Amino acid sequence: MKRLTHALIIVLLLSLPLAAGFRSQDITVHKLDNGLKIVLHEDHDIPNIAYYTFFRVGSRNERPGLTGVSHFIEHMMFNGTQANGPGQFDRIMEANGGANNAFTGEDLTGYTNWYPAAALEKMIALDADRMQGLIFDPQVLESERGVIASERRMAVENNNENLLSETVRAAAIMAHPYHWDVIGWMSDILSWKRDEIIAYYRTFYSPNNAVIVVVGDFQTAKIMELIRKYYASIPRGPEPPAVLTVEPPQLGPRRVTVRKPAQTPEFIMVFHAPAATDPDFPAMDVLGMALLQGESSRLYQRLVARDQLAIDVSGGIGMSIDPLLFTFTVKPRPGTDTALIEKAIEEELEKIKKEGLAAKELQKALNSVRMDFYNPLMTISGKAYKLGESEIYYGGYEHIFKAMDPYKAVTLKQVQELAGKYFSENNKTVGVLVPEGGAK
Amino acid sequence: MKKAILVVISAAFVILPLHGANSLPTPQKMKLGNGLTVYYLQDRDLPLVAARMLVKGAGTAFEPAEGLANLTAALMLKGAAGRSAAQVAEDIDSLGAALDISAADEYLNLSASCLAEHFERLMTIAADCVLQPAFSSEEFEKERQNRIDSLKAAKDNPGQAVRLYFRKAYFGTHPLGHLAGGTDTSLGAMTVDQVIAYYKKYLGPQQAVLAVAGDIDAEKLKQVLNRTFGKWQQSAPAPAASLPQFPVPRGKVLILVDKPDATQAYFALGFPGFGMGDEISAAAQVMNTLFGGRFTSWLNTELRIKRGLTYNTNSSFQQWRGAGIFNVFSYTKNDKIGEMLDITFELVAKAKKEGFGEEEIQSARNYILGQFPPTLENLGAKARSYLTLDFYGLGLNYYDGLLERISKIGKAQADTVAANYFSDQDYVLVVVGKAEEISAQLAKIGEFKVKQITAADF
Repeated sequence: MKRLTHALIIVLLLSLPLAAGFRSQDITVHKLDNGLKIVLHEDHDIPNIAYYTFFRVGSRNERPGLTGVSHFIEHMMFNGTQANGPGQFDRIMEANGGANNAFTGEDLTGYTNWYPAAALEKMIALDADRMQGLIFDPQVLESERGVIASERRMAVENNNENLLSETVRAAAIMAHPYHWDVIGWMSDILSWKRDEIIAYYRTFYSPNNAVIVVVGDFQTAKIMELIRKYYASIPRGPEPPAVLTVEPPQLGPRRVTVRKPAQTPEFIMVFHAPAATDPDFPAMDVLGMALLQGESSRLYQRLVARDQLAIDVSGGIGMSIDPLLFTFTVKPRPGTDTALIEKAIEEELEKIKKEGLAAKELQKALNSVRMDFYNPLMTISGKAYKLGESEIYYGGYEHIFKAMDPYKAVTLKQVQELAGKYFSENNKTVGVLVPEGGAK
Repeated sequence: MKKAILVVISAAFVILPLHGANSLPTPQKMKLGNGLTVYYLQDRDLPLVAARMLVKGAGTAFEPAEGLANLTAALMLKGAAGRSAAQVAEDIDSLGAALDISAADEYLNLSASCLAEHFERLMTIAADCVLQPAFSSEEFEKERQNRIDSLKAAKDNPGQAVRLYFRKAYFGTHPLGHLAGGTDTSLGAMTVDQVIAYYKKYLGPQQAVLAVAGDIDAEKLKQVLNRTFGKWQQSAPAPAASLPQFPVPRGKVLILVDKPDATQAYFALGFPGFGMGDEISAAAQVMNTLFGGRFTSWLNTELRIKRGLTYNTNSSFQQWRGAGIFNVFSYTKNDKIGEMLDITFELVAKAKKEGFGEEEIQSARNYILGQFPPTLENLGAKARSYLTLDFYGLGLNYYDGLLERISKIGKAQADTVAANYFSDQDYVLVVVGKAEEISAQLAKIGEFKVKQITAADF
């Protein structure tokens, strides 16, 4: 439900013959003097508005001791400003027919509001107010700390796959802040200091570090008038510090084991992978689809259908600002020897390195990319998300309209070469959760 | 992005959306020669088509063996019309399309989505799966084993497990106590012959309703249907599907499922509710919005916002034909579960005794009305709505009427819902957690029957 941490945002964008009404010329971009960027698209199908604010901040910008703080601030954004006390944001929004959510990733934090068009001005006032006005009331802060601890217990400690995933990530990534998961380490969650939280907020929650995307039932001139009215007086902030750490090349395979009472094992294998803007990204994405997407994928067929070692497989590559991971997540059958799973994946990867993919696998990936492009365009929230995502990862919404091109340019030869380049023994980290205790 | 572990928690509930006039575009309705009813809406905004189909009666509540309906549904995709399971998967995935078949409680669901240019091919595959499933012994065995394994995986996840245990605890031997994913015992005894017999008995065009929405013109649709689902042969009429009298909790039904490694305790609480389309729906939706249906609800305010006890709590009405239940759900760390349940029961008592304020009722009305339009934005949601409204006999303008009623709900009506359905004496409460650390906190509620999470079944 609300305010989910999402560790990996895997989505595809592409350009295609576009539906009437959602073309580059149907979108306008505006910038205020304080650096705030606004992307607008009028869509009058339903009397509602999707108002999304993206900040260029996530776990990537954190440091030891403050892990998880981006996500914590996301929660605190609903917990009180000078003008609106704790809880007022939600109370006012819901009483006016609106609802909201928010999410934090490695690279971005997004605030998503959905409300009837008639509520527009009130809602803009609320959003502008919290961009710089949070008070971090000490008592509220402590209560919210408990919420986050509960979220971590639910999402990590009582979820074996995520527990293993966190361990594998920390083993594969040594130096870069992607080392920790978005939720942060429990000891950090329990000990963040209020003044450090506020300093982090001041650094990253500035208009020049944000982009607002609005899609829905509004008039562009009118909404810009309101946005200027409420945001123009917010001062430009300092330039957020760049993330300078570069993950050093991995020089040998890594292996981690988690032992825990459980009825079923877990298995995850990862390789360092290219960032969203890397020219290798689309071809690696195609590889991910061929290997892991759908029941026709190579690894579903091998591990679930043929060898019957697993209940399910998932994974692939996700968009990220800095290089992250290509993931193979396998849900083994109870009692399965996970070494067999590892061996089978290795064999399938070797096949691709030697023989490449079939032409029909490339075509399948392109069809999938087209579906993933059109599906979100059915809704105002889907459009708002795609526009914002494009802004964060590619520096501009325009990318949406040419995102298909690099996929169309992917060749079988390129895919084969990249399989060799990335799926190497030295670039690999394997994690296994071994059930122990009375369970079988 | 992670795929959910494959234990389907099937519930017949539909979030009843509400809105102004003509909230749902009016589709065309037709009937094929073999009795198949078809709803059709042309929408050319995007080059996409969504098809949804519902087969009345082919749901988990009417299956002779627990988990059979959903296993049958899944197997329909595992080989058909001379194509193997791998080939069918390849045929679907090569289009970038989605095709799923699963069993809900009262019916079977088919869901197909694709690019408009692939509609005919996808419908051909879908019809092959429905009309000529292979039901091979080999695929049956794989699927059965996969489900047995998935039950174990579900028990490793207490948030998922608590809902399965609750369903069993509330409904017992009533057909709605059937878990869509089956149980260790039921799956252990299941045979492929049962699947074939079930398919023959419950699947037929006379019981089916299809809805298609998207970028396809009427002529083309008719051609495609004539070549695909139009060829579905009528079979002997399926047995009448009606649910027996719902169980109503008398006294407290208390279950504690011991999961010794859990660092958080999860609870599910249930009271009786009402059936789909019941007159009380409008008032109930307002009441639930306030009690546990949104972020500023009573439950979330007290458990999360004020005390930081949990990340998530919510309540909802689940409805089937003729009856339903009311559900409350949350979790907290082991040493706080007693406090969490105390507060939950205090809120139940307060709602029952004092009811809600006029101002918050107005807020709830606005919230429900304001959040309605996006619920029918996409093609699949429109198609699904036609089927649901048809199945429950509510009429295609149901949402408009419901909305109208919601906009007039006042304190008296909302309070009546709480007064009628909440109880401090008669309910079902299931807790999954580490017994050693939570039993003492639960003792004041009453005596819990203790189950081990590692034991077979639920």
